Formats: sequence, C-alpha cells, structure tokens
Amino acid sequence: MKFSYNWIKEFVPTLDLPAEGLERLITMKTAECDGVEKVGPLREGAVVAKVLEAEAIPGYHNQKALVNAGPYGIKTVVCGAPNCRAGLSTIYVPLGTKMVSGVLSDGMLASAAELDINKDHDGIVELDGSEGIPVLDHAIEIDNKSITHRPDLWGHHGMAREVAAITGHALRDVVDMSRLPAPGSPVEVEIEDFTLCPRYSALVFENVTVQPSPLWLQARLMAVGLNPINNIVDLTNFIMAELAQPMHAFDREKLVGRTIYARPAREGESILALNDETYALTPANLVIADASGPIAVAGVIGGDGSAISETTTTIVLESASFQASSVRKTSSALKLRTDASMRFEKAQDPRNTIRALARALELLPILSPGIRLVGGLADCCGPLADPPAIPLDLDWLGRKLGRPMDAAEVRGILESLEFKVDAAFNAAFLVTPPTWRATKDVAMAEDLVEEVGRMIGYDSFPPTPPLVPCAPTYDPPAREFLRHVKRTMAAEGFTEVSNYSFISEEEARRFGLKPEDHVRVLNPIAAGQELMRTSLIPGIHRNVVENARHFDHFRIFEVGHEIHKQADATVKPLERPHLMLALFAKDDGRAGLLELKRVAQFLAPGLEVRAAEAKPFEHSTRAADLYWRDAKIGRLAELHPHLVEAGRASVLDLDLDLLLELTPATVKYTAVRRFPTSAFDLSVVATAREHSGSLEAAIRRLAGPLAEAVEYVREYQGAPLPEGKKSVSFRVVVGAPDKTLSTPEILAIRDGIIDGLTAIGYELRV
Amino acid sequence: MTELVDTALERIHSSANLADLEAVRVEVLGRKGVLAQLSKDMGKLTADERVARGKFINAAKQSLEGAYEALKSKFESAALAERLDAEWLDLTVPAPGPKRGALHPVTQIQWEIEDLFRSMGFSVLDGPEVETEHHNFDALNIPPDHPARDMQDTFWLEGHHLLRTHTSPVQVRGMEKLGPPLKMIAPGRVFRNESVDASHEHTFYQLEGMMIDKDVSVGNLIYFMKTLLTAIFHREVTVRLRPGFFPFVEPGFELDIRCLICGGPGCPVCKQSGWVELLPCGLVNPHVLRASGIDPTEWNGFAFGLGLTRLVMMRYAIDDIRWLQSGDLRFLSQFGGQTA
Repeated sequence: MKFSYNWIKEFVPTLDLPAEGLERLITMKTAECDGVEKVGPLREGAVVAKVLEAEAIPGYHNQKALVNAGPYGIKTVVCGAPNCRAGLSTIYVPLGTKMVSGVLSDGMLASAAELDINKDHDGIVELDGSEGIPVLDHAIEIDNKSITHRPDLWGHHGMAREVAAITGHALRDVVDMSRLPAPGSPVEVEIEDFTLCPRYSALVFENVTVQPSPLWLQARLMAVGLNPINNIVDLTNFIMAELAQPMHAFDREKLVGRTIYARPAREGESILALNDETYALTPANLVIADASGPIAVAGVIGGDGSAISETTTTIVLESASFQASSVRKTSSALKLRTDASMRFEKAQDPRNTIRALARALELLPILSPGIRLVGGLADCCGPLADPPAIPLDLDWLGRKLGRPMDAAEVRGILESLEFKVDAAFNAAFLVTPPTWRATKDVAMAEDLVEEVGRMIGYDSFPPTPPLVPCAPTYDPPAREFLRHVKRTMAAEGFTEVSNYSFISEEEARRFGLKPEDHVRVLNPIAAGQELMRTSLIPGIHRNVVENARHFDHFRIFEVGHEIHKQADATVKPLERPHLMLALFAKDDGRAGLLELKRVAQFLAPGLEVRAAEAKPFEHSTRAADLYWRDAKIGRLAELHPHLVEAGRASVLDLDLDLLLELTPATVKYTAVRRFPTSAFDLSVVATAREHSGSLEAAIRRLAGPLAEAVEYVREYQGAPLPEGKKSVSFRVVVGAPDKTLSTPEILAIRDGIIDGLTAIGYELRV
Repeated sequence: MTELVDTALERIHSSANLADLEAVRVEVLGRKGVLAQLSKDMGKLTADERVARGKFINAAKQSLEGAYEALKSKFESAALAERLDAEWLDLTVPAPGPKRGALHPVTQIQWEIEDLFRSMGFSVLDGPEVETEHHNFDALNIPPDHPARDMQDTFWLEGHHLLRTHTSPVQVRGMEKLGPPLKMIAPGRVFRNESVDASHEHTFYQLEGMMIDKDVSVGNLIYFMKTLLTAIFHREVTVRLRPGFFPFVEPGFELDIRCLICGGPGCPVCKQSGWVELLPCGLVNPHVLRASGIDPTEWNGFAFGLGLTRLVMMRYAIDDIRWLQSGDLRFLSQFGGQTA
C-alpha cells in the first residue's frame, strides 16, 4: 500500500518532517515501510508554459516550438508530441539543452505520463488555463502484511492520525458531515442479513458529466498506485484511498427498479464483472442486486451492465459495509482480489459509510460541475454496537512493559489516537477504543499495551533479566537419540542430505509404492510434488544419481519423516522418522552392502539380516530385511542396476522410532565366567547359496546351552569341493558356568553338532 | 694361559654377525672352550696353584663373557636398526577407509542454537510436520478467513490437514503438554506454498521459542533477545523493537539488529538503513494462552521465531537457498570440518 506524503500533509498541515524522516518514524511506531520514492520528479521546477509557435523540422517527426516558459523566459524546445501546437497551454520542464533533430532544444514539454500524473503518453499535457501543476510528491510504501490488523490504515486519513499522534501535530478532518442531506432517497435499500452487510448507504446524483478528473486528483491517484479512469470512478477511488471506505458508482439508468438489494446470490446466478470476466455465483457470495439480478459482487467488484460510461448522466453512489470474512471468502473463491476486497477483509467500520458520502458531496461539484443531488440519503443500517470500554490497570501495564508508567503519559498517548480515556479508581483507566479500531484490532487490555508501548518506543524499556524458576528441563529422549544417530553417521563417513517431503506419482511407482497409499497435496507447488513421501528412497536415489556425475564413490544419509496415510483420511497421518543410508562405489557392490550392515550393527548391536525377496527396484539377489529384538526395523539392498548407471548403490533404511523404542533402557549384567572355555572348529559343506547365517543358527541350536559362542571363520569354494558347493568354517566356543568341561564333554557337544548337521543333510569336512 | 685367553678374545671380536658370535660363544665359552680346558688340570695342581688358577679363570671368564655380551648387544642393536630402517613408511599417503562425513549445515546451526537454549534451561520439543488447522492457525488466533492467513501460503493435504507453515503450532502443543511455567523451543521443517528461487524455498527450517511465567515484560523480552543474539553471533549486538503484526502475540514486534556488516552507517546488506530485520516476537496473545488451557490472568510470556535457514545463510554467506535442499555433495561436504 502506497501513501502520498502530500496527502498525509493535507491532514497534518503543520507536519515539518520530510518524507524520509516520516518513513522512519512510521516504521518504528506503526507499520513497516518498504521505502520512499519520488512521484513526478520532473515536476520539480516545472512551470505552466504557452506554445507561441510550432513548426515541423524537415526530415524529422519532431516539431520545433517556441515556448513562453514564464519565469524561464522564451525557450526553443524540440517536441515530438502530435498535439504540440501554437496557443497550447502546457507544462515546461527545465532539463538543460541538447541537440535534438539538428536543433538545440532547451528543456522539454512533458506528457502527463512523464510527470506521473496519469498514463497518457500520446501527447503533451493540455492545460485548460485554470489548472496548476501538481507539486512533487513522495510515495511511502507500507508493507501490507504489517497493516493486516488495521482497517483504518488502508486510507490516508487513518495514517495521518498515526502521524499526528507520533509527531504531536494536530489532525485535520476533511469530512464535513453537515453536508449530508436528510433521509429520503429515490432508491430503496433492502439488506437481507445485517451480519453480512451491516450497512448500505447511497446517494443519487443527476446531471452528471463523465470526463477526466482534474490533474491534481489524477496525480494523487497515480501517487498511490491507482489508475485514473474518469471523474466518477476516480472519485470512488480517491475517497477509498482517503478514508479507507470502498465505494461504487452505478449508472442509474441501467438499474432495473428502484430497490437495491444486498443479499446472498441465488443458486445459478452469475455476473459479468467490470474486468470482463463472468463469475458463477453461489449463495456463499453476497451480491448487490436490482430487480433483474446481481449488479455487483458485494465488496469485491462491480458489474459490467451498470458500469459508468461516457453517456452516464445519473448515478447511484454506493458506500456500504460488508462482513470481512464473507468478502474474503468470496474474493478467494472467485480468485479476485481488488482494492475494495482488500480493505473490506480487514473489517471496516460501518460508521464510515456516510462519512465517505459527505466527502463525495464536497468533491463531486468540483469533478463534475453542474451535478445535482436527487433527494436525500439512503441509509439502511443494522444495529451498530458501541465498543465496550476496556479496564486498564496502570500497574499491570507497567509490569507488561517493564517499567512503571506515568498516568498522564498513558492518557496522552491513548487520547492522541482518539481512544476515550475515563479515570477509574485505583490507578486504572477505562479506555474506549474508537470505532475504527474496534472492529477487529482492539478488544482487550493487551492491545492497549501495544498502543502505549509503540508510541513511547520500545527502546525506552530497560532490558531486564526475567525472574523465572530454576528447574530441570523436559528433554524428549528422541532428540538425543537423533543426534546420536546423525553424529554416528557423520563419523562413519556419511554426509547428511536434506530432501523435499514431496514426491511424484511416477517416483512412487518407480519404488514399488502405490500413489493411492500416499497423502495427497491438494495444491502442489508444481507437477511432480503432489504426494507426501512414504519413503526417503526417491530423494536418496536422486541424490545418488546426481552426485554420481561428480564423484566415483560417496556415502550419504538422510534423517526425515515418512508420512503415512491413515485408513480414515481425516485422522492425522502417521509420521515416522527414518534413517536412510546410501553408499555408492564403482565396484562389484559387495563391500558396500556389508559396510552398511556393519554401520547398522553399530547403531543396533546384534541386528540380524534376514534374506528377503527383492522388490522390483532392488538388485534381484541382494536384498534383506533387518531385524532387531525380533522386530523388523529396516531393509538393506542394492539398488537395481536400471536405477544406477556406472556404479553400485547400496541403501539401508531404518525406522528410527522403532529403533529407539527397542533400545534397552538399562544394561543387564551377568557375572564374568570363572572357568575357562574351550573351542573347536567345524567346516560345513553346503550349497553355494546357502546362507551362512542359517548354518550358524543350526549349529547354535545343536550346540545347546553350553555353547558360549558360534563364530563364522571363513568360507571356501573350489577344489577339492565339487562345483556349486562351499565349505563354511565356524569356531564353536563352549564352557560351563560352574566347572571346566572335560575333553569327553567337549567331544560330546562336538559330536552332537556333527550328528545333527549330518541328519539334516550336511556333510562336514574334518 | 694368557695367550689362550687373548686368542679367545680375538676370536670373539672377530665375529662378523650374531650367528658368528654364537658359534664363537660355543667354541670359547662352551664345554670344550678355553675356560673348560683351563679347568681340566685343576686336580693336578697344588692348593695354592688352584687358588691362583681359580682367580685367573674367573677373571678370564668375566673378560670373555663381557666381550661376548657387548658384541651381542651391538649386533642386536644393529639388526633392530636395520629392521626399522627397512620398515620405512610413507605416512603422507592417504589413510584408508571412509573420510568423515558432514552434517547438514542446518543440523549444525540447529544443534548450536538448541544447546544455547538448553544452557538457559529451555526444553527442546518436536512437533509433527503435518498439522491440523486448529494447531497451525485457530489456536494461534488466526481464525478461518482471517487475512493473516495470506501471510503464510499453505500446502493443504487431503483429509483437511496441512503442512505446518511455521513451528508455532509446537507452542500450542508444548503448552498443552507441559503447562506453565514453561521455557521451550521447537526447531523444525516448515512449508510455504511459494515458488522456489535463489532466496525463496517452499521447504525451510525455523525455530520457535516461548517463555511462560508470571509478569514477563517487554523489558524481559528485550533482555533475553539481546543475550540470545549476542551468543548466536558471538559478539555484542544492538537490537531494536518496532511494531509488527502477528496474531499470536500482542503486542507484536519485529526485532532488528544493528547491521553486523557496516555497524550502522548503512551498506547494501542492510539496504542502507543500518538495521537488519531478524525475527518476529512479542508477548503471547491471551487468546493463544487460553486456547492452550492456560489462564492469561495468571500467566503470560513471550514468544519468538528464528529462521534457522536464514541464520545458516547469514553464517556461511550462502547466496542461493536452493543449495540447502540440493543433496549436492560439492556443497554439503564443505561443512564437514567442525562438528563433533
């Protein structure tokens, strides 16, 4: 939102700060400013001038004009505008001399666009003799987000009130309410629901001449970013920019019947709006209608059918108030944000409607000479509640801000902002906010803390250490665990990556996941980001492919949330933190898989790898499930070669919630063995693809309770073993808790294992 | 006799290596050696002669054994020196095994700030990334159709859920879980539905903080922020508060710090203003306390939001936010140096 410095100064005539200084003050006390820029820099030094002679320059499109430039004297100016002609009253800008079209041109004749008066660049300004040049202005840009809560700051008068309060100057009110006529308009207004439309006021005018507005008014609109259109439309925009009250003008001849309705749209109604778009309406949209149907979307946009045109001679000037949330809903449903909707959705004060009409009564005779008011005021208004008074305890206020507060200072600040301050007992005030602050912004004492605090300036409150109890902090165990996991991974050589939570349907399918099992983003930022990830694998895979372009081998990991849809979509999805590791190398891939297994066992000592059937995206013979404490907590696999060119990528996935859950809280101590153990080796001949893990498990089972350990030693393939066979060697350590085992006892265990293995079909190499 | 011993000594000294020496030892000091020969005719000697011979043999023995031991030790040292020399190793070759990995810069900054808060007695809480409208908006005093919802473009999910647009919902969850008094922070991933460019991301990291107690004032907030930011930036910082609108605080502030680049006179980083907008903060809105089951007439407090991603970019002078989610090791591996 742009504010014109000159406009503000009109309300605060004694203001003696330049625009830049004002910008800083507004930033510190009221709202964030994004900068100041000059409006019409060429207006500086410009004067009204008369073209005395104008002649074409042979061979050029330009003319050579002799100009009476008032205080600058007679000047020769080269001008390219087609409307440059002798006798024309226009604007001269002293820019110095330069050669143009072979003629020495001294200064220039300016178009309205060059002077930031409007967008007309077709020719130089044509003055009618009575008009002066709009003076140089400055536009202060305010961040819209910082005035979301301030309906009053969407107009210059409201901002001027702040400026007056900040600087201690007086605020002038430009509205003369005595201009308002008595009730009794030729139009009737019917409001169906005062909640949706608390007030609808209107005036009817005849003998209207639709023509361009005076240059000063056009310049004002341009300064705040509104385009001048014609005097009637400009008037509504001007008053909106001034008083924050959006208005609308209808061509009365195009209205059917004499009643204006504010009502929800009927099912099936639609409207062709001023922007040439047709909008289908529903009963959720409030409309302004005549007997024939909608003539405006309330608070958002007018209809094309009743728009002001060059032939308009009678108008209905609307000044109404609409419920903020209703306007906002309609505006977002129609995807149409207008200057009006932006203001209404901030909750405008319904008391402002007739102020805007009073202002119009003053301006219209200037903009459209000869205009006549028809009848009196139409004003349909629901009950308007008075803002309740807010008790403000000065001691409490001081405790909130951090220093004792002076009653006179507090009163002065609140009154400068037009809050009504009544003294109550016990160093307390009863503070009544002005109606334009009470619609949404100010309702409780905390809101007054802000008013007082910002006006005093927060720098004046001394930094004070808080006095708070000393107590141990609550620390969720998962946090320390996650740190441990991440630190361990970095120490093991893995670099942390961070991927988006979004994946595409195609990615889901590529990794064997069903798109319909995913939580869907209703408004994805781009195609390919429409599903919430149920696995970290798509992101990790992308990292692998991209980094493989630059590196021969690398290790990466990610810790992130998998998001799982619940059977009932209205139940919040389940979020599981997962760890995924990837190891890329240009080798046969074996070392990588075993390395990932080692790292997993580092995190979860005793973690078991159980062979599993490969999924389509995995290497068909290199996939396994990971079990810990009898729960499946992850997966280890090599990615299918289709997915990784020029190298091997092993990946490991662990459910961190489960891992943490299964981590024993305490260690159970067993007494250190007092008697020596004995060991013997066994070599089992098995088929080449037999898992050593199952052999080990079989030996462990056969060895019985006295087996202290069964350790894999090595395996061997080749002569003298037949093709397709291997020999796997294990060392079995046995011992008893209460004695040293005798040789016959040890041999008995060994024979038991050998017999058992032989019984289930294994041969032993002895 | 002396001659015999001298010859034996010479034999010892003439040994070229340890093997030689060992052979000589057997020859000289063994059962058939010089000393044995000298002892052989002891029986034929007189008592006095025996005493003299005994003395002589002992002296000879000492002399021969001494020579042997000295030489043996010399040979052994030489052999060890030779072995060590042969074991010359080039320690400048790369060490085998993986190099240390790097933690993501966001993780590093996040931990650093978490530790700072923990040292000040704050609990560190987590919240879900998928949120309810209630926790993300309503409980934070942002009702439906409030224009403040425009400040945070939201990703909506099926089932009427959303991706949290800020870490503020964890305030609500923290108050619900722990109750007052309360000191907590909540770091985490947040989402905004905006297009990605060099300075905008739809996925980034924030850290929310809150302190609830009795009579927490604006002066306390200023003190706390100054202390915190001085610790974060490792230098004294000057802060200022100016009004800022955030529905979950009242009054709400934008906190600026004196530009750390120019120190105040103005530079491109601070857009010539001398101040850099750093974080939003404020006193917790009573509606928010009430929505979380806390009586605002008894308790109040302050809350603030820190942009972790923004801090990372400031700390390392990263010019393009997209690197952070790129997964590109050329970028990420640069951050492996410092964290334990």
